[in-house]
This record gives sequence, C-alpha cells and structure tokens, in this order.
Amino acid sequence: MLWAIRRIGVALLLVWIVASVVFVVIHLVPGDPAELLLSAGGIAPDPVAVEELRERLGLNRPLLEQYLAFLSGVVRGDLGQSIVDDASVAEEILLRLPRTLELILAGTLLSILVGIPAGTWAALHRGGAFDRAASWLAALLQAVPVFVLGTLLVLTFAVLLRWMPAGGYVPLAQDPGRHLLLLTLPALAIAKGLIAVVFRMTRAATLDSLSRDYVRTARAKGLSPARVLLRHVLRNALIPIVTVLALQMGTLLGGTVLVEYVFNWPGLSSPLLRAVEARDYPMVVGIVLTISVLFVALNLAMDLVYAALDPRIRRA
Amino acid sequence: MLTSRRALLAAGAALPFLRAEHASAQRQPGVLRFGLSSFPPSIQPWVSTGTAAGTVKLLIHRGLTSYDATGKLQGEIAESWSNEGPNAWVFRLRDNVVFHNGERLTSEDVKWTIEQIAGERSTAYYRGEMQGVERVETPDPRTVRFVMKAPSAVLPDWLASYHLPICWRGSPANAPVGCGPFVLRGQERGVSLDLVAFDRYYRPGLPKLRGIRMVAYADENLRVAALQAGDVDLIEYVPWQSMATIEADPKLRLDSTDGPFMYLTFNGTRGPLVDARVRRAISLAVKRDEIVKAAFFGRGSPLTGLPVPPGSDFFDASLAQGTGYDPDRARALLLEAGVPGGFQTSLLSTAQYGMHKDTAEIVQQNLAAIGIQCEMRLPDWATRVNLGNRSQFDIAVMGTATDSNDPDGIARLVDGSLPPSFIRSAGIRVPRLEQLFAQGRSEFDPARRRAIYVEAQKVGLEEAPIVGLAWRSQGYAMQRDVTGFKALPGALNFFSGITLEQTAFG
Repeated sequence: MLWAIRRIGVALLLVWIVASVVFVVIHLVPGDPAELLLSAGGIAPDPVAVEELRERLGLNRPLLEQYLAFLSGVVRGDLGQSIVDDASVAEEILLRLPRTLELILAGTLLSILVGIPAGTWAALHRGGAFDRAASWLAALLQAVPVFVLGTLLVLTFAVLLRWMPAGGYVPLAQDPGRHLLLLTLPALAIAKGLIAVVFRMTRAATLDSLSRDYVRTARAKGLSPARVLLRHVLRNALIPIVTVLALQMGTLLGGTVLVEYVFNWPGLSSPLLRAVEARDYPMVVGIVLTISVLFVALNLAMDLVYAALDPRIRRA
Repeated sequence: MLTSRRALLAAGAALPFLRAEHASAQRQPGVLRFGLSSFPPSIQPWVSTGTAAGTVKLLIHRGLTSYDATGKLQGEIAESWSNEGPNAWVFRLRDNVVFHNGERLTSEDVKWTIEQIAGERSTAYYRGEMQGVERVETPDPRTVRFVMKAPSAVLPDWLASYHLPICWRGSPANAPVGCGPFVLRGQERGVSLDLVAFDRYYRPGLPKLRGIRMVAYADENLRVAALQAGDVDLIEYVPWQSMATIEADPKLRLDSTDGPFMYLTFNGTRGPLVDARVRRAISLAVKRDEIVKAAFFGRGSPLTGLPVPPGSDFFDASLAQGTGYDPDRARALLLEAGVPGGFQTSLLSTAQYGMHKDTAEIVQQNLAAIGIQCEMRLPDWATRVNLGNRSQFDIAVMGTATDSNDPDGIARLVDGSLPPSFIRSAGIRVPRLEQLFAQGRSEFDPARRRAIYVEAQKVGLEEAPIVGLAWRSQGYAMQRDVTGFKALPGALNFFSGITLEQTAFG
C-alpha cells in the first residue's frame, strides 16, 4: 500500500515537472503571441495596438506571476483561455482528446488483428515464403515515414480510386458509416509501425514458447495442435506483447501529430501545432500537460498491475 | 487466424458499400464547399488575422466601398462618393442595407464603426489611418462626411479593405453584426465554418448560393487531393507544384494572378549594408529567374525595385531596364563602397514555409558568387517575425502583398520613419522617398500622382531600402461547374472572396 502511494506521489511530481518545464520553455522561446496575432498575413501591426493587446492578455506581467496564476488554475482544474480567440483550453481538449484516443485505439486494434495472427503464422512456418515476405514487409513498414505512407494512401484511395474522402472528420453520432470510413486511412497509417512491432514480437515470442519444455510435454500428452497453440504457446507469448503494446500506445500519442495533419483529423495535434506556431501559451501548456498526464497514468497503471501480479516488484 | 482472415474479407467486401455511402454524402444542393489554407485565428472584423480570415470576413461583412472582379474600386454600402475640398470626403449610402439582425444601416453605424477602429483600446489594422480622421459627420441617415486631419486621396481605397467593414452600432464587443451576403451559422474551432445566405442582402438576387461550408486543410497537398477527390468545390492557396496538374485536369479549373511578392530587407544600423551601393550590388547579384523557377515552379515573374505590378497605371517599364542580373557591376559597386571581394553576413528566412526557404537558398548562392558569404538562419516563423521586429538580422527574406493596387500601399514597406517591423528594413531612412509617398497620398490629380510614384520607384531603385525579388502567382482552383468566382488581380488577390456572392454551380 505504501509502495502504491509513493508511486502515485512520484507520478504527480512528474506531471508537475513536465508542466513547469513546458511552461518555462514555451515562454523562453522567441516569438510574441500578441505581435504574431496582429501580423498574420505578413503585415506590420501598429505597435500601440500590439502593446494594448499584450496588456489585455496579461503578457506584461512578470513570468513568475504568470506561472503562479497558471499553477493555481491547474489545481482548480482551470487550464485558462486561448490567447488567440479566448476559447477555453479545457473545452478544446475535452472535444479533441477523444478523437485522438479513438485514432490510437483503432490503430492498436488494427495492429493486433493483423500483427498477432501474422506473427504466429510466420513463427509456425518459420523460414517459409510467408515468413520471409512478412518479415520483409514489416521492415519496409517500419522504414517508410508515416507522412509518406499517409500521402500515398490519400493518393491511391482518394484521388485515384475515389473510394474514400481525402481526409476529414464526421462525428459518429451524425453519420456512423462515414465516420468509420474517414477513420480507416488514418488508422491504417498510424498502425503501420505498430503492426510491424507486434508482428515481430509475436513471431519471436511464439518461437520462444514453441521451444519450451511445457510445449513438448503438451504435444507428448497428445493434445491437438490448435489447443497447444492457443492454450500453451500463444497465452505465454502474449505477456511480452501486451507490455510492448502498452508502451507503444504512449508513443502513438506523439505519432498522431503527423497522421492527424496529413488526414485533417481534428484531434489534439492540430490545435497543439497551431498553438505552438502562434505561441498560444495556455493552449500549448494545457495540451502538453494532458498528454503527459495520460502518459504518466498509463505507466502508473502498468506498474500497479505488474506489482499486483508480481510481489517481487513491490518489495524492490 | 481464420477469424481474422474472415474479418479481413468482410472488411474488403464492405468497401464498395462504404463507397456508395461516400458518394451519397457528397454536395448538398447550392452549398459550396471551400477548402481554406488555414483556420482563421479569429474573425473579428477590424483586426488583421490573416488572409483566410479575410475571405470569411468578405462573406459576413461589407464596407463602404469594395473592388469588382477586375479590381476596380466600386461602391458597396456607399452608392457614390466625392471629395469636398482636399480634407473632406462625402459618402452617399444605399437605402436598402440591412444588418443580419434586421436593423437598417444608417450613417450613425458608419460613424460608430470608425470610432471603434480609431479608439484608444483598439487593436484594429487601420487604427492609425482612422486616427487621421478628424471627425465623422452624419448630416442625415444616408450621408456620411469624413473630415480628415490631412488631405488623403486614398481614403476610398482604405475603406474597401476587408479590415474596414461597417458593423451595427449596437453590436456587443465580441459579436459584431455585419451586413454581408452570408451569415455565420456555426463553426468548430480549428475545423470548419458554416455560413448560410442572408435573405435580406442589399444586392437583389444575390448571393446565388444557399450556403458555404468552409473546411480548413492546413496540408497543401491534402487540400489539392480533397479538390481532386471531389470533397471540396473550391480551394485557395494552390501550391505552385500542383498548378500544372490542376490545369491538365479536365474536371478542374485554375484561376491565378501574380499578386504577392518576395523581397529582401536589410539592417541598415550597422556594417556594410548601411551603404546603398552595397544593397544595389546585392540586387544586381540575384538571379531572379532562378527564384521563380525553384521556389515557385515557374509560377511568377521577376521583380526588381519597388513592387508596382506591370499593368498598373503607375508602372513604368523603362525603369526596370539595366537592373537585372549583372555580377560585374555588382562587384564594381562593392569595390566603390569599400568592401571589395565581399564580406561575411547573415541571411534570415524561415524553414516553416518552403517558398521563404527556397528563395533564401538561391539568394545565398548568388551572393556567395560576388563574395558576400551569408550564414543562413532558418528558425520557425514566430521566431523570424520576432527577430525582424527587433532588428536582429542582417539580410532577411520576406514575402507579402500590399493592401491594394494603389502604390500608396508600398509606403508601409519602405517608410523608415515608421516603427521597426519584420516587413521593413531596419534603420534605413530615405527622406526623399518618405516625402514622395506623403505627397502622393495628398495628391488628387491622377497624372500628377503617377509622376510622383514613378519618381518614387526611381528613388527606390537607387537607394534600395528593400530589394524586390519575384512576384508569385496566387491561385484558386475549383471544379469546372463552379461559376462566377474570380481571382482578383495583383495585390487584391486576397480580396477574391468578394466574388463568392456571385458564385453558383453550373
């Protein structure tokens, strides 16, 4: 119990450090939001107007004062307003985070559906044509940058074949069919690396399990090959795969930036990108804080689950 | 494995049905789908927040004057205007202008609007100009009289800007009420805007569309793909590399004009760049054709001197002669200026926009050929703007468009008496040029104005406060059946949204 409390404390500390570092870094980077906002389109704003806006946005206050105001806001659950258009940062995140998570979930699901069966098949027929072709494809998938694959998918399915729209988003409630259709290509693009990882992990873990004594014993007992595979080989092979999946889902959060951009998927990335470009401080800090909380929470959950499973970790 | 195979097959079999659904989810009758290059940061009427916002403002709002599809100044809310002596302009308003809330427009709304823009706490783009208005008189509901502090020949041009629409005098601060052809019905921040036709718009029979759905496609390639796939009907900011493909596509149409331009700014507070001869040498060393070819895929034309477009009444073709690529003369000028063999300096641009970076790379190569070695600085745009505004650069690549096709708009770029800005050189004052622009602004006779601006262009070439590089083509692309939309010429290209009231299908 004490261990868990300490672990949660460390997680909170991590979140605070990340929030503070992001706050300080984004304020130290050159660029002034008021100036940028008023000079969009390559024009020179009236310096008096810029000064007026800076005053109105509270950018003239000392950095420490701004930081303390930000921290007290966070504690109260208030992430502030966008500098650019007064939109509530929390509302923006609540609207867009589920879309990013949906994309990640769809990508993960896709990689499980493709990666695990393909990896198992390749391990069972090690050195065969499928194994070699799939291993080669996995290497290719990992090597192709996500924006190249994304652009190729758009070119093939939207422009040449016209099977799908070139990107965009429709809420699930409004039109479920179109929603899923629009989800397909970005989910594929985001899954491409993970498919390769899951495939490799499954193949290696299955091979490892196959050579174990308990598998030999199971076979010697006269169990059917399917039963051996499902109950004894795959089940044991799944442990490292699940670990890798949980870790990779975190990194996918970062990977969505490009995919969302290429497919115009209105998740959390585009406001983050726009906010950085416009030096929209509250929006940048709010979104990065959310992502890091997710990351830390994911790791915390994994640690707690491991600890529950394996007492050695608790005592360590 | 088997189940997953089955799932895959099922998914594959479902594709044709999904496709049918996609086809049915296409165009709604009378609603144009417009692919924006970016989502407008805000659509406050008087604040400048970029060209995408400008297009949206041209749908919701109208000003006293505007430009027609050929770029000619025309009456909008004002049906006529004239000047009374050098300091006063009188505008006669239409009697059928109604705001989106049903209120009838009167001269009081005009007065209120100008007061808001010129106000103490205003962040409006034309704040400075409108502070040059001594008072706005409203002799009757349909007459407005602007009394200027100093004579201004260009007031009707300013009033045509999409930064100067007239709003209802009772508008709340955060929700100004306009009188344009479309009403904003809804928006999702960062994604899309939905507009519907305003049924009491003052031009009979307009707008022709029932509505416009604007969707932001920040990725230029996706924007083009969305047009090619039929997801949208019209896109702005066509990337130069895609222009040839669009022209070759029988289903699509490209409408582009040379309008915005690229140029160099200098830091004249220190070093060899203080000397106009050095800046002229730089101008002579740049191969402008290469910039047009490499940065704009041939979609543009060379620009030497001040950005007065060929075809403008103020353009004088003879001026540009002998100002092209001439490295020998450039070297001679360096010798004359006391820096024979060149010098070390830095070149500021941005990696965020391909055209800025490509232009800078060619300038760097060309300058190296006459001995000027530039260390390249390519930060993101926000940093680049910041460095420019603080005069922390030596040479910088810049791209913009002037506010209108009137040469008065060039003053913002070369008037060294204005506060430091990333769009201007730092610390370079050319009193003669400042004087000429001031003269041009207060001169009402067209022939005399022309002479003033031709002289200004001559001085601009000699003193080189900025060095013009290239005009760049600015394009809109649309489905063939989109009619009535027209790209406005020159600097007015970003005003093309005004023709959306005439746009229709078929």
